[in-house]
Amino acid sequence: MEKLATEDERNLIKRSCAGDVSAFESLVLAHQDRVYNLTYRITGNHEDAADAAQDAFVRAYQALSRFRGESSLSTWLHRVATNAALDLVRRRPDAPPVELPADQPAHDDPAAEVHRREVSRRVHAAVGRLPAEYRVVVVLRDFQGLAYEEIAKILQIPIGTVRSRLSRGREALRELLMDLVAAEG
Amino acid sequence: MSMNHESVRARLSALIDGALPAREAADVETHLRDCTPCRADLAQMRATVRVLREVEPVQVPEGFAAGVRGRIERLPHGAAPWSRWRVAWPSIRWSWKAAAAAASVALVAIFAANLAREMMPASRLPKAVEGDRARGGDRRDASNAETNSRVNRQAPLAAPRSSMEASGQQAVPGTEPTFDRKVIRSGEIAVEVEKFDDAARRLLSIAEAAGGFIADSAYDESGGVPRGTFVVRVPANRFGDAVRQVEQLGTVQRRHITGQDVTEEFIDLDARVRNLERQEARLLTFMDRATKIPDLMAVQQEVSRVRGEIERLRGRMRFLANRVDLATIQAEVSQKPKKRSGGFWDFDRTIGRIQAAFLNTVREMLEAVEGIAAFAAAILPLVVLGALGWGVLRRTIRRADRPV
Repeated sequence: MEKLATEDERNLIKRSCAGDVSAFESLVLAHQDRVYNLTYRITGNHEDAADAAQDAFVRAYQALSRFRGESSLSTWLHRVATNAALDLVRRRPDAPPVELPADQPAHDDPAAEVHRREVSRRVHAAVGRLPAEYRVVVVLRDFQGLAYEEIAKILQIPIGTVRSRLSRGREALRELLMDLVAAEG
Repeated sequence: MSMNHESVRARLSALIDGALPAREAADVETHLRDCTPCRADLAQMRATVRVLREVEPVQVPEGFAAGVRGRIERLPHGAAPWSRWRVAWPSIRWSWKAAAAAASVALVAIFAANLAREMMPASRLPKAVEGDRARGGDRRDASNAETNSRVNRQAPLAAPRSSMEASGQQAVPGTEPTFDRKVIRSGEIAVEVEKFDDAARRLLSIAEAAGGFIADSAYDESGGVPRGTFVVRVPANRFGDAVRQVEQLGTVQRRHITGQDVTEEFIDLDARVRNLERQEARLLTFMDRATKIPDLMAVQQEVSRVRGEIERLRGRMRFLANRVDLATIQAEVSQKPKKRSGGFWDFDRTIGRIQAAFLNTVREMLEAVEGIAAFAAAILPLVVLGALGWGVLRRTIRRADRPV
Protein backbone atom coordinates (compact mmCIF):
# COMPACT_ATOMS: atom_id res chain seq x y z
CA MET A 1 0.00 0.00 0.00
CA GLU A 2 1.00 3.61 -0.31
CA LYS A 3 3.78 5.05 1.82
CA LEU A 4 2.83 7.63 4.39
CA ALA A 5 4.62 10.92 4.79
CA THR A 6 6.54 11.11 8.06
CA GLU A 7 4.36 13.96 9.25
CA ASP A 8 1.15 12.04 8.62
CA GLU A 9 2.57 8.99 10.28
CA ARG A 10 3.54 10.91 13.40
CA ASN A 11 0.09 12.40 13.53
CA LEU A 12 -1.54 8.99 13.19
CA ILE A 13 0.68 7.57 15.92
CA LYS A 14 -0.35 10.37 18.26
CA ARG A 15 -4.03 9.78 17.57
CA SER A 16 -3.64 6.02 17.96
CA CYS A 17 -2.00 6.53 21.33
CA ALA A 18 -5.05 8.49 22.35
CA GLY A 19 -7.19 5.48 21.47
CA ASP A 20 -8.25 6.39 17.91
CA VAL A 21 -8.65 2.95 16.32
CA SER A 22 -9.30 4.37 12.85
CA ALA A 23 -5.98 6.18 12.92
CA PHE A 24 -4.28 2.97 13.87
CA GLU A 25 -6.07 1.16 11.07
CA SER A 26 -4.49 3.59 8.63
CA LEU A 27 -1.11 2.66 10.03
CA VAL A 28 -1.97 -1.01 9.64
CA LEU A 29 -2.94 -0.49 6.02
CA ALA A 30 0.31 1.33 5.35
CA HIS A 31 2.51 -1.37 6.86
CA GLN A 32 0.55 -4.60 6.53
CA ASP A 33 2.27 -5.75 3.32
CA ARG A 34 5.75 -5.65 4.70
CA VAL A 35 4.73 -7.05 8.06
CA TYR A 36 2.75 -9.85 6.47
CA ASN A 37 5.58 -10.83 4.13
CA LEU A 38 7.94 -10.90 7.08
CA THR A 39 5.75 -13.17 9.16
CA TYR A 40 4.98 -15.31 6.14
CA ARG A 41 8.65 -15.99 5.42
CA ILE A 42 9.44 -16.66 9.04
CA THR A 43 6.45 -18.90 9.80
CA GLY A 44 6.33 -20.50 6.35
CA ASN A 45 2.55 -20.64 5.87
CA HIS A 46 -0.33 -18.22 5.47
CA GLU A 47 -2.32 -19.26 8.46
CA ASP A 48 0.52 -18.71 10.92
CA ALA A 49 1.62 -15.64 9.01
CA ALA A 50 -1.81 -14.04 9.42
CA ASP A 51 -1.91 -14.95 13.10
CA ALA A 52 1.56 -13.61 13.75
CA ALA A 53 0.94 -10.42 11.79
CA GLN A 54 -2.28 -9.75 13.67
CA ASP A 55 -0.58 -10.46 16.96
CA ALA A 56 2.14 -8.05 15.94
CA PHE A 57 -0.26 -5.23 15.17
CA VAL A 58 -2.28 -5.77 18.33
CA ARG A 59 0.90 -5.76 20.41
CA ALA A 60 2.06 -2.69 18.56
CA TYR A 61 -1.20 -0.94 19.33
CA GLN A 62 -0.88 -1.75 23.00
CA ALA A 63 2.74 -0.69 23.18
CA LEU A 64 2.55 2.23 20.77
CA SER A 65 2.95 4.75 23.57
CA ARG A 66 6.36 3.21 24.23
CA PHE A 67 7.41 3.85 20.66
CA ARG A 68 9.58 6.91 20.90
CA GLY A 69 10.56 7.40 17.32
CA GLU A 70 14.20 6.48 17.89
CA SER A 71 13.92 4.26 14.87
CA SER A 72 11.34 4.41 12.10
CA LEU A 73 7.92 2.97 12.79
CA SER A 74 8.61 0.41 10.08
CA THR A 75 11.74 -0.86 11.83
CA TRP A 76 9.90 -0.94 15.12
CA LEU A 77 7.04 -2.91 13.58
CA HIS A 78 9.56 -5.30 12.10
CA ARG A 79 10.87 -5.93 15.54
CA VAL A 80 7.44 -6.54 17.03
CA ALA A 81 6.46 -8.75 14.09
CA THR A 82 9.68 -10.74 14.13
CA ASN A 83 9.14 -11.49 17.79
CA ALA A 84 5.51 -12.39 17.23
CA ALA A 85 6.43 -14.72 14.37
CA LEU A 86 9.27 -16.35 16.30
CA ASP A 87 6.95 -16.80 19.29
CA LEU A 88 4.55 -18.61 17.03
CA VAL A 89 7.25 -20.74 15.41
CA ARG A 90 8.62 -21.74 18.79
CA ARG A 91 5.16 -22.64 20.09
CA ARG A 92 4.49 -24.72 17.02
CA PRO A 93 4.99 -28.40 17.80
CA ASP A 94 6.31 -29.76 14.49
CA ALA A 95 8.31 -28.77 11.49
CA PRO A 96 6.82 -25.77 9.72
CA PRO A 97 4.08 -26.65 7.27
CA VAL A 98 5.48 -24.79 4.32
CA GLU A 99 2.88 -23.95 1.72
CA LEU A 100 2.82 -22.36 -1.67
CA PRO A 101 2.53 -18.67 -2.05
CA ALA A 102 -1.04 -18.02 -3.14
CA ASP A 103 -2.78 -15.35 -5.14
CA GLN A 104 0.11 -14.52 -7.43
CA PRO A 105 -0.86 -11.99 -10.07
CA ALA A 106 -1.12 -13.58 -13.49
CA HIS A 107 1.52 -13.00 -16.12
CA ASP A 108 1.29 -13.13 -19.85
CA ASP A 109 3.71 -15.89 -20.61
CA PRO A 110 2.40 -19.19 -19.21
CA ALA A 111 5.81 -20.93 -19.40
CA ALA A 112 7.61 -18.14 -17.56
CA GLU A 113 4.77 -18.09 -15.08
CA VAL A 114 5.23 -21.79 -14.36
CA HIS A 115 8.97 -21.37 -13.95
CA ARG A 116 8.53 -18.37 -11.69
CA ARG A 117 6.12 -20.25 -9.47
CA GLU A 118 8.53 -23.16 -9.28
CA VAL A 119 11.42 -20.92 -8.23
CA SER A 120 9.22 -19.18 -5.70
CA ARG A 121 8.10 -22.48 -4.21
CA ARG A 122 11.65 -23.85 -4.05
CA VAL A 123 13.03 -20.72 -2.44
CA HIS A 124 10.24 -20.59 0.07
CA ALA A 125 10.71 -24.24 1.00
CA ALA A 126 14.46 -23.78 1.31
CA VAL A 127 14.09 -20.74 3.55
CA GLY A 128 11.67 -22.75 5.67
CA ARG A 129 14.33 -25.39 6.22
CA LEU A 130 16.86 -22.97 7.66
CA PRO A 131 17.28 -22.83 11.42
CA ALA A 132 15.09 -20.03 12.74
CA GLU A 133 17.91 -17.70 13.71
CA TYR A 134 19.49 -17.83 10.23
CA ARG A 135 16.10 -17.68 8.55
CA VAL A 136 15.14 -14.48 10.36
CA VAL A 137 18.30 -12.71 9.28
CA VAL A 138 18.00 -13.83 5.65
CA VAL A 139 14.34 -12.80 5.56
CA LEU A 140 15.04 -9.39 7.03
CA ARG A 141 17.94 -8.78 4.66
CA ASP A 142 17.03 -10.38 1.34
CA PHE A 143 13.24 -10.34 1.44
CA GLN A 144 12.59 -7.22 3.45
CA GLY A 145 15.71 -5.42 2.26
CA LEU A 146 16.73 -4.00 5.64
CA ALA A 147 20.22 -2.68 6.40
CA TYR A 148 22.57 -4.58 8.72
CA GLU A 149 22.21 -1.89 11.36
CA GLU A 150 18.43 -2.17 11.35
CA ILE A 151 18.61 -5.95 11.60
CA ALA A 152 20.98 -5.68 14.54
CA LYS A 153 18.55 -3.29 16.23
CA ILE A 154 15.53 -5.45 15.53
CA LEU A 155 17.11 -8.65 16.81
CA GLN A 156 19.16 -6.91 19.49
CA ILE A 157 22.34 -8.63 18.41
CA PRO A 158 25.72 -7.19 17.44
CA ILE A 159 26.26 -6.30 13.81
CA GLY A 160 29.04 -8.91 13.55
CA THR A 161 26.52 -11.55 14.50
CA VAL A 162 24.16 -10.32 11.80
CA ARG A 163 27.01 -10.61 9.32
CA SER A 164 27.94 -14.16 10.26
CA ARG A 165 24.37 -15.48 10.55
CA LEU A 166 23.50 -13.99 7.20
CA SER A 167 26.58 -15.53 5.66
CA ARG A 168 25.75 -18.97 7.02
CA GLY A 169 22.10 -18.66 6.03
CA ARG A 170 22.95 -17.69 2.48
CA GLU A 171 25.58 -20.40 2.30
CA ALA A 172 22.99 -22.99 3.28
CA LEU A 173 20.51 -21.60 0.76
CA ARG A 174 23.12 -21.74 -1.96
CA GLU A 175 23.54 -25.44 -1.36
CA LEU A 176 19.80 -26.07 -1.14
CA LEU A 177 19.14 -24.14 -4.33
CA MET A 178 22.29 -25.17 -6.22
CA ASP A 179 20.53 -25.90 -9.52
CA LEU A 180 18.66 -22.58 -9.52
CA VAL A 181 21.82 -20.73 -8.62
CA ALA A 182 23.72 -22.43 -11.41
CA ALA A 183 20.98 -21.49 -13.87
CA GLU A 184 21.10 -17.92 -12.61
CA GLY A 185 24.91 -17.70 -12.69
CA MET B 1 47.98 -9.28 4.84
CA SER B 2 46.68 -12.30 3.04
CA MET B 3 43.58 -14.17 4.09
CA ASN B 4 42.93 -17.86 3.85
CA HIS B 5 40.07 -19.26 1.80
CA GLU B 6 37.92 -19.96 4.82
CA SER B 7 37.89 -16.46 6.19
CA VAL B 8 37.42 -15.03 2.72
CA ARG B 9 34.41 -17.27 2.14
CA ALA B 10 32.91 -16.22 5.45
CA ARG B 11 33.09 -12.62 4.27
CA LEU B 12 31.68 -12.97 0.76
CA SER B 13 28.14 -12.46 1.92
CA ALA B 14 28.95 -9.18 3.64
CA LEU B 15 31.15 -8.12 0.72
CA ILE B 16 28.17 -8.34 -1.62
CA ASP B 17 26.23 -6.03 0.67
CA GLY B 18 29.15 -3.66 1.06
CA ALA B 19 28.91 -4.32 4.78
CA LEU B 20 32.55 -5.15 5.43
CA PRO B 21 34.91 -2.77 7.19
CA ALA B 22 37.11 -1.09 4.55
CA ARG B 23 40.29 -2.93 5.50
CA GLU B 24 38.69 -6.34 5.52
CA ALA B 25 37.05 -5.60 2.19
CA ALA B 26 40.43 -4.66 0.72
CA ASP B 27 42.01 -7.85 2.05
CA VAL B 28 39.22 -9.96 0.61
CA GLU B 29 39.52 -8.23 -2.76
CA THR B 30 43.25 -8.84 -2.77
CA HIS B 31 42.70 -12.52 -2.11
CA LEU B 32 40.01 -12.77 -4.76
CA ARG B 33 42.25 -11.36 -7.44
CA ASP B 34 44.53 -14.40 -7.19
CA CYS B 35 42.07 -17.09 -6.18
CA THR B 36 39.83 -18.58 -8.81
CA PRO B 37 37.82 -20.92 -6.55
CA CYS B 38 36.96 -18.07 -4.21
CA ARG B 39 35.91 -15.94 -7.16
CA ALA B 40 33.60 -18.75 -8.20
CA ASP B 41 32.18 -18.83 -4.72
CA LEU B 42 31.55 -15.11 -4.86
CA ALA B 43 29.69 -15.49 -8.14
CA GLN B 44 27.54 -18.23 -6.69
CA MET B 45 26.80 -16.20 -3.61
CA ARG B 46 25.76 -13.29 -5.80
CA ALA B 47 23.52 -15.58 -7.80
CA THR B 48 21.95 -16.99 -4.65
CA VAL B 49 21.13 -13.53 -3.33
CA ARG B 50 19.72 -12.60 -6.72
CA VAL B 51 17.48 -15.67 -6.70
CA LEU B 52 16.23 -14.78 -3.24
CA ARG B 53 15.51 -11.19 -4.18
CA GLU B 54 13.69 -12.08 -7.35
CA VAL B 55 11.00 -13.87 -5.40
CA GLU B 56 7.91 -11.72 -5.48
CA PRO B 57 6.21 -10.63 -2.29
CA VAL B 58 3.01 -12.34 -1.25
CA GLN B 59 -0.33 -10.61 -0.89
CA VAL B 60 -1.94 -9.82 2.39
CA PRO B 61 -5.17 -11.76 2.83
CA GLU B 62 -8.39 -9.86 2.30
CA GLY B 63 -9.71 -8.02 5.32
CA PHE B 64 -6.47 -8.28 7.26
CA ALA B 65 -6.59 -4.72 8.60
CA ALA B 66 -10.24 -5.12 9.52
CA GLY B 67 -9.32 -8.25 11.46
CA VAL B 68 -6.68 -6.35 13.37
CA ARG B 69 -9.20 -3.60 14.10
CA GLY B 70 -11.69 -6.15 15.34
CA ARG B 71 -9.20 -7.65 17.73
CA ILE B 72 -8.20 -4.26 19.01
CA GLU B 73 -11.81 -3.32 19.63
CA ARG B 74 -12.38 -6.58 21.49
CA LEU B 75 -9.49 -5.79 23.82
CA PRO B 76 -10.63 -5.42 27.42
CA HIS B 77 -11.20 -1.83 28.44
CA GLY B 78 -8.42 -0.26 30.38
CA ALA B 79 -5.76 -1.82 28.24
CA ALA B 80 -5.06 1.38 26.39
CA PRO B 81 -4.96 3.57 29.50
CA TRP B 82 -2.61 1.14 31.14
CA SER B 83 -0.36 1.10 28.16
CA ARG B 84 -0.44 4.86 28.09
CA TRP B 85 0.41 4.91 31.75
CA ARG B 86 3.49 2.87 30.95
CA VAL B 87 4.94 5.76 28.99
CA ALA B 88 5.98 7.39 32.19
CA TRP B 89 8.25 4.53 33.04
CA PRO B 90 11.86 5.38 32.22
CA SER B 91 13.29 3.48 29.33
CA ILE B 92 16.25 2.05 31.22
CA ARG B 93 16.91 -1.36 29.83
CA TRP B 94 17.32 -3.42 32.95
CA SER B 95 19.90 -6.10 32.80
CA TRP B 96 22.48 -7.65 35.03
CA LYS B 97 24.96 -5.13 33.72
CA ALA B 98 22.75 -2.21 34.64
CA ALA B 99 22.08 -3.67 38.07
CA ALA B 100 25.79 -4.26 38.65
CA ALA B 101 26.58 -0.73 37.53
CA ALA B 102 23.97 0.71 39.89
CA ALA B 103 25.28 -1.40 42.74
CA SER B 104 28.86 -0.37 42.14
CA VAL B 105 27.89 3.30 41.98
CA ALA B 106 26.13 2.92 45.32
CA LEU B 107 29.14 1.16 46.83
CA VAL B 108 31.55 3.78 45.57
CA ALA B 109 29.33 6.49 47.02
CA ILE B 110 29.24 4.79 50.39
CA PHE B 111 33.00 4.24 50.42
CA ALA B 112 33.60 7.82 49.41
CA ALA B 113 31.34 9.06 52.19
CA ASN B 114 33.15 6.89 54.71
CA LEU B 115 36.56 7.91 53.48
CA ALA B 116 35.57 11.53 53.62
CA ARG B 117 34.35 11.10 57.17
CA GLU B 118 37.71 9.58 58.07
CA MET B 119 39.68 12.36 56.50
CA MET B 120 37.67 15.47 57.07
CA PRO B 121 37.12 15.83 60.77
CA ALA B 122 40.55 17.37 61.40
CA SER B 123 39.07 20.81 60.99
CA ARG B 124 36.06 20.43 63.21
CA LEU B 125 36.64 17.62 65.65
CA PRO B 126 38.77 19.24 68.35
CA LYS B 127 35.72 20.24 70.39
CA ALA B 128 34.22 16.79 70.28
CA VAL B 129 37.51 15.08 71.08
CA GLU B 130 38.03 17.47 73.94
CA GLY B 131 34.63 16.55 75.26
CA ASP B 132 35.45 12.88 74.95
CA ARG B 133 38.68 13.33 76.79
CA ALA B 134 36.96 15.21 79.56
CA ARG B 135 34.42 12.46 79.88
CA GLY B 136 37.21 9.89 79.79
CA GLY B 137 38.92 11.68 82.61
CA ASP B 138 35.79 11.71 84.68
CA ARG B 139 35.30 8.08 84.00
CA ARG B 140 38.76 7.33 85.20
CA ASP B 141 38.01 9.22 88.39
CA ALA B 142 34.80 7.33 88.79
CA SER B 143 36.55 3.98 88.47
CA ASN B 144 39.03 5.09 91.06
CA ALA B 145 36.20 5.94 93.36
CA GLU B 146 34.91 2.44 92.85
CA THR B 147 38.17 0.74 93.75
CA ASN B 148 38.51 3.08 96.66
CA SER B 149 35.15 2.22 98.09
CA ARG B 150 35.94 -1.44 97.66
CA VAL B 151 39.13 -1.01 99.63
CA ASN B 152 37.13 0.94 102.15
CA ARG B 153 34.81 -1.98 102.70
CA GLN B 154 37.72 -4.32 103.26
CA ALA B 155 39.49 -1.91 105.57
CA PRO B 156 37.81 -2.91 108.84
CA LEU B 157 39.07 -6.46 108.38
CA ALA B 158 42.62 -5.35 107.89
CA ALA B 159 42.53 -3.01 110.85
CA PRO B 160 40.54 -4.28 113.78
CA ARG B 161 38.65 -1.59 115.63
CA SER B 162 40.04 -2.39 119.08
CA SER B 163 43.65 -1.81 118.19
CA MET B 164 42.70 1.29 116.26
CA GLU B 165 41.18 2.79 119.37
CA ALA B 166 44.31 1.96 121.29
CA SER B 167 46.74 3.99 119.31
CA GLY B 168 45.30 5.17 116.03
CA GLN B 169 44.21 8.53 117.25
CA GLN B 170 47.42 10.43 117.07
CA ALA B 171 48.81 8.39 114.17
CA VAL B 172 47.89 11.08 111.70
CA PRO B 173 47.50 14.45 113.22
CA GLY B 174 44.47 16.33 112.05
CA THR B 175 42.75 13.46 110.27
CA GLU B 176 40.43 10.79 111.45
CA PRO B 177 42.01 7.39 110.90
CA THR B 178 38.75 6.05 109.52
CA PHE B 179 40.45 4.63 106.43
CA ASP B 180 38.10 5.85 103.83
CA ARG B 181 39.64 6.05 100.45
CA LYS B 182 43.10 7.47 100.41
CA VAL B 183 43.70 8.71 96.94
CA ILE B 184 46.42 11.00 95.78
CA ARG B 185 44.90 12.98 93.01
CA SER B 186 47.10 14.82 90.63
CA GLY B 187 46.76 16.37 87.27
CA GLU B 188 49.04 17.73 84.60
CA ILE B 189 47.52 20.29 82.35
CA ALA B 190 49.16 22.20 79.55
CA VAL B 191 47.27 25.27 78.43
CA GLU B 192 48.03 27.87 75.87
CA VAL B 193 46.79 31.30 76.92
CA GLU B 194 46.47 34.67 75.31
CA LYS B 195 48.39 36.56 78.00
CA PHE B 196 50.74 34.87 80.33
CA ASP B 197 50.56 37.44 83.14
CA ASP B 198 46.79 37.36 83.31
CA ALA B 199 46.87 33.58 83.43
CA ALA B 200 49.38 33.60 86.27
CA ARG B 201 47.20 35.98 88.29
CA ARG B 202 44.08 33.95 87.68
CA LEU B 203 45.90 30.77 88.61
CA LEU B 204 46.73 32.29 91.98
CA SER B 205 43.12 33.29 92.58
CA ILE B 206 41.95 29.83 91.55
CA ALA B 207 44.26 28.29 94.14
CA GLU B 208 43.17 30.68 96.87
CA ALA B 209 39.49 30.45 96.10
CA ALA B 210 39.72 26.68 96.44
CA GLY B 211 41.46 27.04 99.79
CA GLY B 212 44.77 25.99 98.34
CA PHE B 213 48.02 27.60 97.37
CA ILE B 214 50.66 27.71 94.74
CA ALA B 215 53.39 25.41 95.91
CA ASP B 216 55.86 26.13 93.20
CA SER B 217 56.18 28.29 90.18
CA ALA B 218 58.79 28.64 87.51
CA TYR B 219 58.94 31.16 84.73
CA ASP B 220 60.89 31.19 81.52
CA GLU B 221 60.91 33.48 78.55
CA SER B 222 63.94 32.18 76.72
CA GLY B 223 62.06 31.10 73.64
CA GLY B 224 60.62 34.53 73.07
CA VAL B 225 57.30 33.28 74.32
CA PRO B 226 56.69 33.38 78.07
CA ARG B 227 55.92 30.02 79.59
CA GLY B 228 55.81 28.79 83.13
CA THR B 229 55.03 25.82 85.30
CA PHE B 230 52.87 26.23 88.37
CA VAL B 231 52.23 23.59 90.99
CA VAL B 232 48.87 24.29 92.54
CA ARG B 233 47.78 22.45 95.65
CA VAL B 234 44.11 22.42 96.48
CA PRO B 235 42.01 20.41 98.92
CA ALA B 236 41.11 17.09 97.38
CA ASN B 237 37.39 17.84 97.29
CA ARG B 238 38.02 20.96 95.21
CA PHE B 239 40.26 19.19 92.74
CA GLY B 240 37.67 18.78 89.98
CA ASP B 241 36.60 22.43 90.15
CA ALA B 242 40.17 23.60 90.10
CA VAL B 243 41.04 21.46 87.08
CA ARG B 244 38.10 22.88 85.20
CA GLN B 245 39.05 26.41 86.06
CA VAL B 246 42.64 25.90 85.02
CA GLU B 247 41.44 24.49 81.72
CA GLN B 248 39.38 27.58 81.14
CA LEU B 249 42.49 29.71 81.14
CA GLY B 250 43.07 28.95 77.50
CA THR B 251 43.33 26.15 74.99
CA VAL B 252 44.09 22.81 76.57
CA GLN B 253 46.94 21.12 74.80
CA ARG B 254 47.66 18.25 77.08
CA ARG B 255 46.03 16.83 80.12
CA HIS B 256 46.84 13.93 82.32
CA ILE B 257 44.91 13.14 85.45
CA THR B 258 45.77 10.35 87.82
CA GLY B 259 44.42 9.06 91.06
CA GLN B 260 46.90 6.96 92.99
CA ASP B 261 45.21 4.78 95.55
CA VAL B 262 47.36 4.56 98.71
CA THR B 263 44.77 3.13 101.08
CA GLU B 264 46.60 -0.16 101.45
CA GLU B 265 49.93 1.45 102.08
CA PHE B 266 48.25 3.63 104.64
CA ILE B 267 46.70 0.69 106.45
CA ASP B 268 49.99 -1.11 106.38
CA LEU B 269 51.85 1.84 107.80
CA ASP B 270 49.26 2.26 110.52
CA ALA B 271 49.52 -1.37 111.58
CA ARG B 272 53.29 -1.26 111.68
CA VAL B 273 53.24 1.92 113.75
CA ARG B 274 50.89 0.34 116.30
CA ASN B 275 53.07 -2.75 116.45
CA LEU B 276 56.13 -0.71 117.13
CA GLU B 277 54.29 1.31 119.77
CA ARG B 278 53.33 -1.86 121.62
CA GLN B 279 56.94 -2.98 121.39
CA GLU B 280 58.03 0.38 122.74
CA ALA B 281 55.61 0.11 125.64
CA ARG B 282 56.98 -3.34 126.54
CA LEU B 283 60.53 -2.06 126.32
CA LEU B 284 59.67 0.77 128.63
CA THR B 285 58.37 -1.67 131.27
CA PHE B 286 61.61 -3.65 130.90
CA MET B 287 63.49 -0.45 131.45
CA ASP B 288 61.59 0.18 134.65
CA ARG B 289 62.49 -3.27 135.92
CA ALA B 290 66.07 -3.20 134.76
CA THR B 291 68.64 -3.15 137.58
CA LYS B 292 71.93 -3.56 135.87
CA ILE B 293 73.38 -0.69 133.95
CA PRO B 294 74.30 -2.75 130.85
CA ASP B 295 70.74 -4.04 130.65
CA LEU B 296 69.44 -0.57 131.03
CA MET B 297 71.73 0.64 128.27
CA ALA B 298 70.66 -2.13 125.91
CA VAL B 299 66.99 -1.50 126.51
CA GLN B 300 67.48 2.23 126.11
CA GLN B 301 69.18 1.66 122.76
CA GLU B 302 66.36 -0.57 121.55
CA VAL B 303 63.73 1.94 122.67
CA SER B 304 65.31 4.73 120.71
CA ARG B 305 65.62 2.54 117.61
CA VAL B 306 61.90 1.66 117.82
CA ARG B 307 61.02 5.27 118.45
CA GLY B 308 63.02 6.32 115.40
CA GLU B 309 61.24 3.77 113.28
CA ILE B 310 57.87 4.95 114.55
CA GLU B 311 58.71 8.51 113.68
CA ARG B 312 59.86 7.52 110.23
CA LEU B 313 56.66 5.63 109.50
CA ARG B 314 54.55 8.44 110.90
CA GLY B 315 56.41 10.86 108.72
CA ARG B 316 55.55 8.76 105.71
CA MET B 317 51.91 8.66 106.79
CA ARG B 318 51.86 12.40 107.26
CA PHE B 319 53.32 12.82 103.81
CA LEU B 320 50.72 10.57 102.27
CA ALA B 321 47.92 12.24 104.18
CA ASN B 322 49.12 15.58 102.98
CA ARG B 323 49.18 14.35 99.44
CA VAL B 324 45.73 12.86 99.81
CA ASP B 325 44.25 15.92 101.40
CA LEU B 326 45.79 18.31 99.01
CA ALA B 327 45.55 17.38 95.40
CA THR B 328 48.26 18.58 93.07
CA ILE B 329 47.73 20.30 89.77
CA GLN B 330 50.75 20.95 87.67
CA ALA B 331 49.83 23.63 85.21
CA GLU B 332 52.10 24.31 82.29
CA VAL B 333 51.10 27.66 80.99
CA SER B 334 52.42 29.01 77.74
CA GLN B 335 51.49 32.10 75.88
CA LYS B 336 50.20 31.74 72.36
CA PRO B 337 53.04 32.52 69.96
CA LYS B 338 52.49 35.94 68.48
CA LYS B 339 51.88 35.72 64.78
CA ARG B 340 54.76 37.30 62.96
CA SER B 341 52.50 39.92 61.50
CA GLY B 342 55.58 42.05 61.06
CA GLY B 343 54.03 44.98 59.26
CA PHE B 344 51.40 45.69 56.68
CA TRP B 345 49.65 42.35 56.14
CA ASP B 346 49.35 39.14 58.09
CA PHE B 347 49.76 36.52 55.41
CA ASP B 348 49.66 33.57 57.77
CA ARG B 349 46.24 34.60 58.91
CA THR B 350 45.04 35.00 55.32
CA ILE B 351 46.29 31.56 54.38
CA GLY B 352 44.72 30.09 57.48
CA ARG B 353 41.38 31.63 56.63
CA ILE B 354 41.54 30.49 53.02
CA GLN B 355 42.37 26.99 54.14
CA ALA B 356 39.56 26.96 56.66
CA ALA B 357 37.06 28.27 54.15
CA PHE B 358 38.10 25.70 51.56
CA LEU B 359 37.93 22.82 54.00
CA ASN B 360 34.59 24.05 55.22
CA THR B 361 33.12 24.00 51.77
CA VAL B 362 34.51 20.57 51.01
CA ARG B 363 33.17 19.32 54.29
CA GLU B 364 29.73 20.69 53.65
CA MET B 365 29.67 19.14 50.20
CA LEU B 366 30.65 15.80 51.63
CA GLU B 367 28.04 16.15 54.31
CA ALA B 368 25.46 16.75 51.61
CA VAL B 369 26.62 13.64 49.77
CA GLU B 370 26.52 11.72 52.98
CA GLY B 371 23.01 12.91 53.58
CA ILE B 372 21.93 11.84 50.13
CA ALA B 373 23.58 8.45 50.57
CA ALA B 374 21.91 8.00 53.94
CA PHE B 375 18.57 8.99 52.46
CA ALA B 376 19.04 6.58 49.56
CA ALA B 377 19.92 3.81 52.00
CA ALA B 378 16.83 4.64 54.00
CA ILE B 379 14.44 4.44 51.06
CA LEU B 380 16.17 1.53 49.33
CA PRO B 381 14.04 -1.15 51.02
CA LEU B 382 10.90 0.80 50.10
CA VAL B 383 12.05 1.08 46.51
CA VAL B 384 12.74 -2.65 46.34
CA LEU B 385 9.35 -3.42 47.81
CA GLY B 386 7.69 -0.96 45.50
CA ALA B 387 9.44 -2.39 42.45
CA LEU B 388 8.40 -5.90 43.43
CA GLY B 389 4.82 -4.83 43.95
CA TRP B 390 4.83 -2.94 40.70
CA GLY B 391 6.22 -5.93 38.85
CA VAL B 392 3.52 -8.21 40.24
CA LEU B 393 0.84 -5.66 39.44
CA ARG B 394 2.09 -5.21 35.91
CA ARG B 395 2.26 -8.92 35.34
CA THR B 396 -1.32 -9.33 36.49
CA ILE B 397 -2.46 -6.54 34.23
CA ARG B 398 -0.51 -7.92 31.29
CA ARG B 399 -2.17 -11.25 31.75
CA ALA B 400 -5.53 -9.60 31.94
CA ASP B 401 -5.19 -7.67 28.72
CA ARG B 402 -3.36 -10.26 26.66
CA PRO B 403 -5.47 -10.59 23.57
CA VAL B 404 -7.17 -13.91 22.82
